[in-house]
Amino acid sequence: MFQSIIHTRIRFVFLGVIFILVVVIIKVFYIEVFSYDKLKKLSDDLYSRKLPIAANRGEILDRNGNILATNITTTSLVLVPRQIIDKEKVAKDLAEILNVSYDEMYKHVSKKESIERVHPEGRRLSYDIAEKIENLGYDGVYLVKESKRYYPYETMLAHSLGYVGIDNQGLSGLELEYDKYLTGENGSIKYFSDGQGNRLEKSEVYEPAKKGLSLQLTIDIEIQKVVENELDNIMDKYSPDNALIIVQNPNNGEILAMASRPSFDANNYQNSTTEIINRNLPIWKTYEPGSTFKIITLASSIEEKTIDLFNDYFVDSGSISVDGATLHCWKHGGHGNQTYLQVVENSCNPGFVSMGLKLGTDKLMDYIKKFGFGEKTGIDLNGEGSGILFKKEKMGLVETATTAFGQGISVTPIQQVTAVSAAINGGDLYTPYIVKNLIDSQANIIINSKDKELKRKVISEDTSKLVRFALESVVANGTGRNAYIENYRVGGKTGTAQKVENGHYSSSSYILSFIGFLPADNPQAVVYVAIDNAHNVSQYGGTASAPVARNVMKAVVDVLNIEPSKDGMPKEYTYLDQKYVMVPNVTGMTLEQAKKELKSFNITYSGNGEKVFYQSPEEGMYIKEKGTISLMLS
Amino acid sequence: MKKYAKRLLILSILISIFGIIMIYSASSIWAKYRFNDSFHFAKLQLIFFLVSLLGLFTTSKIDFHIYQKYANIILALSVLLLIIVLIPGIGSLKNGARSWIKIGPFGLQPSEFAKLGMIIFLAKYLANNQKNLISIKKGVFPILLIIGIIFGLIMLEPDFGSAMVMTIALMIIIFISGVKLSFFASLGLLGLLGITGLIIVAPYRLKRIISFLNPWSDPLGSGYQIIQSLYAIGPGGLFGLGFGNSIQKQFYLPEPQTDFIFSIISEEFGFLGVLIVTSFFAFIFYFILKISLKQKELFAKYLCFGLGIQIIVQALLNLCVVVGIIPVTGVTLPFLSYGGSSLLVSMASIGIILNIAKNS
Repeated sequence: MFQSIIHTRIRFVFLGVIFILVVVIIKVFYIEVFSYDKLKKLSDDLYSRKLPIAANRGEILDRNGNILATNITTTSLVLVPRQIIDKEKVAKDLAEILNVSYDEMYKHVSKKESIERVHPEGRRLSYDIAEKIENLGYDGVYLVKESKRYYPYETMLAHSLGYVGIDNQGLSGLELEYDKYLTGENGSIKYFSDGQGNRLEKSEVYEPAKKGLSLQLTIDIEIQKVVENELDNIMDKYSPDNALIIVQNPNNGEILAMASRPSFDANNYQNSTTEIINRNLPIWKTYEPGSTFKIITLASSIEEKTIDLFNDYFVDSGSISVDGATLHCWKHGGHGNQTYLQVVENSCNPGFVSMGLKLGTDKLMDYIKKFGFGEKTGIDLNGEGSGILFKKEKMGLVETATTAFGQGISVTPIQQVTAVSAAINGGDLYTPYIVKNLIDSQANIIINSKDKELKRKVISEDTSKLVRFALESVVANGTGRNAYIENYRVGGKTGTAQKVENGHYSSSSYILSFIGFLPADNPQAVVYVAIDNAHNVSQYGGTASAPVARNVMKAVVDVLNIEPSKDGMPKEYTYLDQKYVMVPNVTGMTLEQAKKELKSFNITYSGNGEKVFYQSPEEGMYIKEKGTISLMLS
Repeated sequence: MKKYAKRLLILSILISIFGIIMIYSASSIWAKYRFNDSFHFAKLQLIFFLVSLLGLFTTSKIDFHIYQKYANIILALSVLLLIIVLIPGIGSLKNGARSWIKIGPFGLQPSEFAKLGMIIFLAKYLANNQKNLISIKKGVFPILLIIGIIFGLIMLEPDFGSAMVMTIALMIIIFISGVKLSFFASLGLLGLLGITGLIIVAPYRLKRIISFLNPWSDPLGSGYQIIQSLYAIGPGGLFGLGFGNSIQKQFYLPEPQTDFIFSIISEEFGFLGVLIVTSFFAFIFYFILKISLKQKELFAKYLCFGLGIQIIVQALLNLCVVVGIIPVTGVTLPFLSYGGSSLLVSMASIGIILNIAKNS
């Protein structure tokens, strides 16, 4: 009886044991099949060590694809201390090659890190040194490719491009603003190691790095080169504190060129002071604009119809009294009786005061704000200033009066350029921008393309047309005549702003500026030049800045292929100016007739024949007196 | 019965040899690093195997009735060894437990011999008191008291794994002897209370339980071993990485030749390796039970069953730990894990069973 109970229970125990064994088998099956992926991935992560391969940073290109910022490949030393067997010998050899002390190198090779870098001696190695290390052939000593940012044009566009740190991270300018796009995804060489970090005999896995996106700018390198060159000339000639130039397309807000002095070489930014590096003057600097600001007062007055340019008159006695304060005209004795068009041509301060007062504080300030002053323009660069405006409630008539001719208000250069662009382009205020396209250069596709961004309509097309006309006549007949370009229609306005020093207007220190655009009937470019505290030159924007703007605009004519025009206003000459005369038509005439007709010019001719069939320049063009005219005969 | 005895002998020798090979594969990296000799553990295990084989043949020649006669003395000797090992200077510390007595280059594990001694004693006790077993108080309590004392001594080392294996095996032997089922029900309840008590006394045990439920909750502490074991079994996949190709043995799984050798077998031989090892234990147990069932003599029946269930309980505990079914207990896999005492006891057990098969 006992036996039978015992036997039953033994069999029962056997079944129990088999049951548990089956459970174990099922569990193993479960782990091997259903948990396989998860465990495989986790254990792979555990086994693998990664040597990083830095991704190339995206390039920065101008609007035509010229390279402004690129990368050069360098080699860096990476140590895997676990794999270094003879630490003394490796440390000794590396110390010798890299010119580091033995003790320091020994610290590196015996550090308890899975991956150790020798910083900075082991980075950006020359080819020779890299080859020497390679030839040693030590285990645990790796050379990895790294890229170094390189700016082929050095100081050109330096402030806007910015620069990068040793790990290729963007630190300023576009490099900072677009850092997340420019930065690629790092790749790696994955090798497998045991629990102590020793390398296992298992093949390496190479994960390629993904290059960052490239930026295509709105900048035109040819215009930029001229701008940089002009700035260098300004620095040589006038030794100012600083100087800046902006060239913008008024019809969409694209920045075509932008630069300032003092500048720095982005490849060696450490050599310059942070003050120089960090201040992108065209967007950062704020100052009283002076007379260039009168364009805003003018545009607002025309839009509000408070003046008639041609039929309303203003008599300038040399000063004007507002609320007990006397405001002087820059011209001693005044301009006398003028139409408002002449007020603009003469940049007559009392005339603009009367314009401002006619508008009234509210209207004037409303327009100033509508033109974008007092707030950042929103250009895609860091470090932009916003300027300072009077608070409307606290403004008296005197403040309104000074604001009307550009004093007592603080603006940035980029604000002026965008505001004037709006005044002359038909009245549209655009957000300025410098990055046109984000490009995946590996796949060669445009990821994102920026288009013009209209902020608001400020004035009407008709008003804008009158502003263009008035500013063209400033260049043809008024203070801006130094910017006049023969056969092209140029508009513009000078500015001479006294600098405020210690709360007072300085008597010796000025910001000389000029803002110009062309062609005046259909503007393709706005050029702004400002020189701060120029020496060895008469302190008028028309003298120092207008000729610079003229040179830049001539470059714009070439680069943008702007057609010459005969419809422009003829220049009014002063005795100082070299006279330009219109070329008459001589085609179809005989050589003799032509010579008679062109007796005030030099003539060269080619071809054998009696009659002129081609002349250069053509009829209606202006050339210098005694200039040369080429004829072809047949 | 001779047929089963022969198969049991062949199977035991085969699995022990497989064990030596797997110990070599699992330990070679660690042995090379620690002793500058990849064969360090394999060589020692080979010596253990030869000694154990000698033990097996010796015990198979000794008439098992002698154990019945000297059961009390054997138990007394076991208790003595269990006390001696606790004395610092004689018992040497390993992994925080004082469970070894060093004799020259070899170590003796008193708990292993106590387990054997208890089986012999219990088999004799049950055979002699078969009629008293109806009364729990008169028949079962006295033996429970003795088991409790031995359990306590082993837990003093502490060697939780051995204590568990021994207690579970002894309870199963008592179970098959025909004691009322209601006793086991109330004992189960008591056991539950006991485990709760143990956790309260030493909270690290609770941590072990938690780590088994979610090893990733403490991946570098209590969950470490089980995670490393799963990293061997999982990525090894159904087909394994091939003999010698384990990655986990390369300093990831600590001392892979001991408790977690099953993970390495699984990693290198995949599901097939797992099936081979589990069916080996199933067959060994099956043959032992066949021999046990044939015994007329109660002592022989209990002893044979007891020696078998001891091996199988230890194997099941180890397998369940390694695949993550129960918390880490720290028991080795009989025949396969590295270790002299363990192999000697297993082989000697087989020897005794062979003698039982022969002498009945």
